[in-house]
Amino acid sequence: MSIQRRSMCSGEWQRPIADTLRSSVRLSTVALAALVSVFGLRAAAQDASQGSPADRKAFFGEQHIHTSWSVDAWLFGNHLTGPDDAYRYARGEVIRHPLGYDITIDKPLDWMGVTDHSEYVGITKQANTPGSAVSEMPQAQPLILKDPNDPADVQKVFNYLVSLVSKPPIKAFMTPQIAGTVWKENIDIANKHNKPGEFTAFCSYEFTSQVNLRNLHRNVYFRDCAKVPEQPYSALFSWHPEDLWKWMDQQRQAGNELLAISHNANLSDGWMYPTDVDSLGRPIDAAWAESRIRNERLIEIKQIKGQSETHPLLSPNDEFANYEIMSFLIGQPEDSGRVPAIVGSYARQALKDGLTMQEAKGYNPFKFGFVGGSDSHNTGAPYRTNNAFAGHGINDGLVQRRMAGHLFTGMDVRKESTAGLTGVWAEENTRESLWDAMHRRETFGTSGVWIQVRMFGGWDYGSDLLQDADWVSKAYERGTAMGGDLPSAPAGARAPSFLVWAVKDPESGNLDRIQIVKGWTKDGQSFEKVYDVVWAGDREPEPGTGRLPALPSTVDLAAATFTDEQGSTELFTVWTDPDFDPSLHAFYYARVLEIETPRWTTVQAVKLGVDLPDTVPATVQERAWSSPIWYAPPEGTTTASTSVTVADLEANGAKALTDDELKALIAGKGIWVRNNVTGEVMKLRYDEKGTYDVSYVGARAQLPSLSGDLPRKTYEMLAAPYTIANGQINTFVSSTPIGMKVYQATGTHAGNTARKHAAYYGARSNEFGYANYEILLEGPANLVELPKDKMDIPVSDQPNYLGVTIEK
Amino acid sequence: MSQTTLKRVLGRFARDPLLHFLVLGGVMSGVFVLLDDRTEALMPTEIRYTVDDVARLILGFETQWNRPPTQAEFNALVEDRVREDILYREALALGLDKDDTIVRRRMAQKMQFLAEDIAAAREPTIAELKSWYADNNRLFEMAPRLSFRHIYFSPDRRGKNAQADAAAALEELSGTSADRVEGSGLGDRFMFQDYYGERSLQAIAREFGAGFAQSIDDLQPGVWSGPVQSGLGWHLVRVDKVIAGRVPRFEEVANEVKTAWLGQQKAEAWRKSYDEMRAKYTVLLPVPEVESPGAAASPAQPVDRPGDGGS
Repeated sequence: MSIQRRSMCSGEWQRPIADTLRSSVRLSTVALAALVSVFGLRAAAQDASQGSPADRKAFFGEQHIHTSWSVDAWLFGNHLTGPDDAYRYARGEVIRHPLGYDITIDKPLDWMGVTDHSEYVGITKQANTPGSAVSEMPQAQPLILKDPNDPADVQKVFNYLVSLVSKPPIKAFMTPQIAGTVWKENIDIANKHNKPGEFTAFCSYEFTSQVNLRNLHRNVYFRDCAKVPEQPYSALFSWHPEDLWKWMDQQRQAGNELLAISHNANLSDGWMYPTDVDSLGRPIDAAWAESRIRNERLIEIKQIKGQSETHPLLSPNDEFANYEIMSFLIGQPEDSGRVPAIVGSYARQALKDGLTMQEAKGYNPFKFGFVGGSDSHNTGAPYRTNNAFAGHGINDGLVQRRMAGHLFTGMDVRKESTAGLTGVWAEENTRESLWDAMHRRETFGTSGVWIQVRMFGGWDYGSDLLQDADWVSKAYERGTAMGGDLPSAPAGARAPSFLVWAVKDPESGNLDRIQIVKGWTKDGQSFEKVYDVVWAGDREPEPGTGRLPALPSTVDLAAATFTDEQGSTELFTVWTDPDFDPSLHAFYYARVLEIETPRWTTVQAVKLGVDLPDTVPATVQERAWSSPIWYAPPEGTTTASTSVTVADLEANGAKALTDDELKALIAGKGIWVRNNVTGEVMKLRYDEKGTYDVSYVGARAQLPSLSGDLPRKTYEMLAAPYTIANGQINTFVSSTPIGMKVYQATGTHAGNTARKHAAYYGARSNEFGYANYEILLEGPANLVELPKDKMDIPVSDQPNYLGVTIEK
Repeated sequence: MSQTTLKRVLGRFARDPLLHFLVLGGVMSGVFVLLDDRTEALMPTEIRYTVDDVARLILGFETQWNRPPTQAEFNALVEDRVREDILYREALALGLDKDDTIVRRRMAQKMQFLAEDIAAAREPTIAELKSWYADNNRLFEMAPRLSFRHIYFSPDRRGKNAQADAAAALEELSGTSADRVEGSGLGDRFMFQDYYGERSLQAIAREFGAGFAQSIDDLQPGVWSGPVQSGLGWHLVRVDKVIAGRVPRFEEVANEVKTAWLGQQKAEAWRKSYDEMRAKYTVLLPVPEVESPGAAASPAQPVDRPGDGGS
């Protein structure tokens, strides 16, 4: 043996072998692919898409579905159906709900990827199959259901499962012999159902990272099923998304293209979109950001367990943010008092933080497009409010259990939504064409309806472009489609224009309006504004609020019906940003709203003859979200910013106040503070007992991210708690503390106002090193600056302003 | 068996270290000897690797790291492999393979894969496929397809008048030549297409809604009809051509036929292999402690094999 080993390890043996390998067809293909595809910058030649962009069509599909092969689905009573059935359901065939009744899709899909959990895939099923290998393993005993019809037993096993994915992995369940077989079968089934041009079945799976009940799940999509690995990378190997990305990079380098789609940020307890440290506790840096955007091209914006676009507390001026909110922790024990975080759990805030990080740090980790999904564990998913069988087997599969507000792992099942859907703008219905579109983020998510939405951004879209029969190809030529970056502005261009177009789902409600959601950043702060850009009917925005009044509702709550008397079939316009500032990073995405229709709970309450639920709205406005388009100021743009950073302050000898000094400064005091970025002033009152309030913020004030609903707080004089600890004044956005450090400047340096006294600057913990708040020595006498001529009305004229009757 | 398919089957075996030194017994022995030269008796304390074995180690490394291993890494690879082989042999010597349910189940699965692979290894002749197709062609039936032209009356532009306007336009169209379509000034711009060629009802429903697809299925071809309501508004429709549902000629679906044939061959091969194996065995169950009407099995009575041929 020793003789042979020596010769094997000698150079003359080793090299020829390696060379032989490299000259084999398989390896050289891999090597070539690796060369052209280093880190996702795929060469144009590799793009399989045929035809011109103008030929792209919206292909609708399901990117997130579980079958009995997922451990938890098996527990929910899904023992009957596997991936094969999922594809049959997607194509319009009747399959069985886990409870045994027939379910049919409302409208067959164009594509689907079955995303069974890669963790312990098939294990629950095997554990519950008497005589199977797994059923005899001691580690599998807690997975065996004593009584599958007993919800308490199911709950117990489910909680064990959740604890499994949070704990060190059970090696015996992870061997390729156990996990690899199921994966291989999965691919075979996808291949069987994949019919280029007709129906696309992806090779995909779910990476289910659930540490400390935080949902950090990702679906992984492979471009080419012929290149998938022997075994998917699951959260059992590592729960850190960073390790998944590392593995994905390796796969990509080996010629296996893939992308990840994160979902249920809303259930991540603030961990989906961190801005300071990653999941390993390391400071976020450029490499982390690049790794993230290289791999995570898309996020799921809506599914059965709620939407992850935004929350009313994060977007207080967005009147449609209060939609399908779901905030809980999957598997949280009944007696736990934990309150999940909202901050860090929503996509719009992440998009805004991404811009700020780009400006302040030079990298943006949160540049993603939108897709929808179901996350149903029933093999089939309900997309429509009149065909809603929810998503979790026996827990919500019976109408009487749903309408009884059954609490399933702490979740009132009435709060479940219909399944979301994904639209992909692709040349043809093939894996390559669809995957490439997903990679370039030319995708949109819907709440489950087949609304089609297009959005383009450019500098040269005339308002009459949409009259042109070739508007689509011109829109591509002169700008970028959704998911892309605005091209650089030509000389003389003042503001970008956005072409938006939407058509209703022929089997759902008419369209109410298209909105454009804009986010931008300045000096460490980020802002958002929602513009109504085109709408149905004769409506004018209301003076004062600027809001478009709602269309009259056609919903009859007693009958759970609606009509098409309101709303439009098709909406389109070219919109130019009226508030554009070329020096600021920004993003824009379109949101299309349907007219009000009855929510599924209303439909089922009427059918069942019970009261409408009072924990969810009676109606809903179905919607679609386009992927964003980003604007970046030209390289080398340096604005003459007068902003103050913590680094500036420290370099000039400013001193951070200690807890005691902070107490002396604010406790029991009323203080005027100015946000130097917006110029907005406000008065804060801090009492001695840990309560504060804010006065005088108008509803139109431009408030930076994570201010909470300040206008409401000030109007209603709502007090809130504050603490002083670790050199910070902490206030809270829901459960998340936002700290403010205060620095006492030594002289008259820095800042954007001349000052006679040493000043106090506040730096909020979410503003990336900027000290944007200045404590004023005295407040203003007036809060509004009226035009000069209006300030000059003599006393004798005062009666003219009283007893007024204004005639039209 | 062609060289390529042989390699494929061999590769599948070769990738699985679990089976490397397992003698599978009589069932597949003929094939197996062809596939793997390692069935020869080995000296208990000699571990011998072939060029292929080493190549496989390197390949495994390269797929993971996208580069060849360094000398040190290569040594470690070999040492790992040696360790695995030694422990494996020692485990075999202790009979640890006998009661391990994972090993048992895995090997049973392998049997199935192998049987299926062997079925897949044979290229069917065209004649064979054709004859199979003749018996199974209902699986390939094509849905009816329609070609139609339509004129759109937009509720966005016409509100409640859309239907009436469409009806009026139909009056105008009747009596004119059937070709009078474009440039007629009738109707509104439609957001998708004005003409749809050879679409299944499902494809039409996808664009217009299910109700519309049903309605136009009933229309008389060659004349303008309507108004027909869709989810997008009102339409005048002229069906040009109806292609009835039909069973395609073999040549049109040859590839699909081959896939389906293969699937059936696999299932069939597996059923047969298992039947053969099952036929060799007699299964004895213990006598139930309490005699009951349903309990017919006794040690003296062989159990009938289950009808599904499944494992």
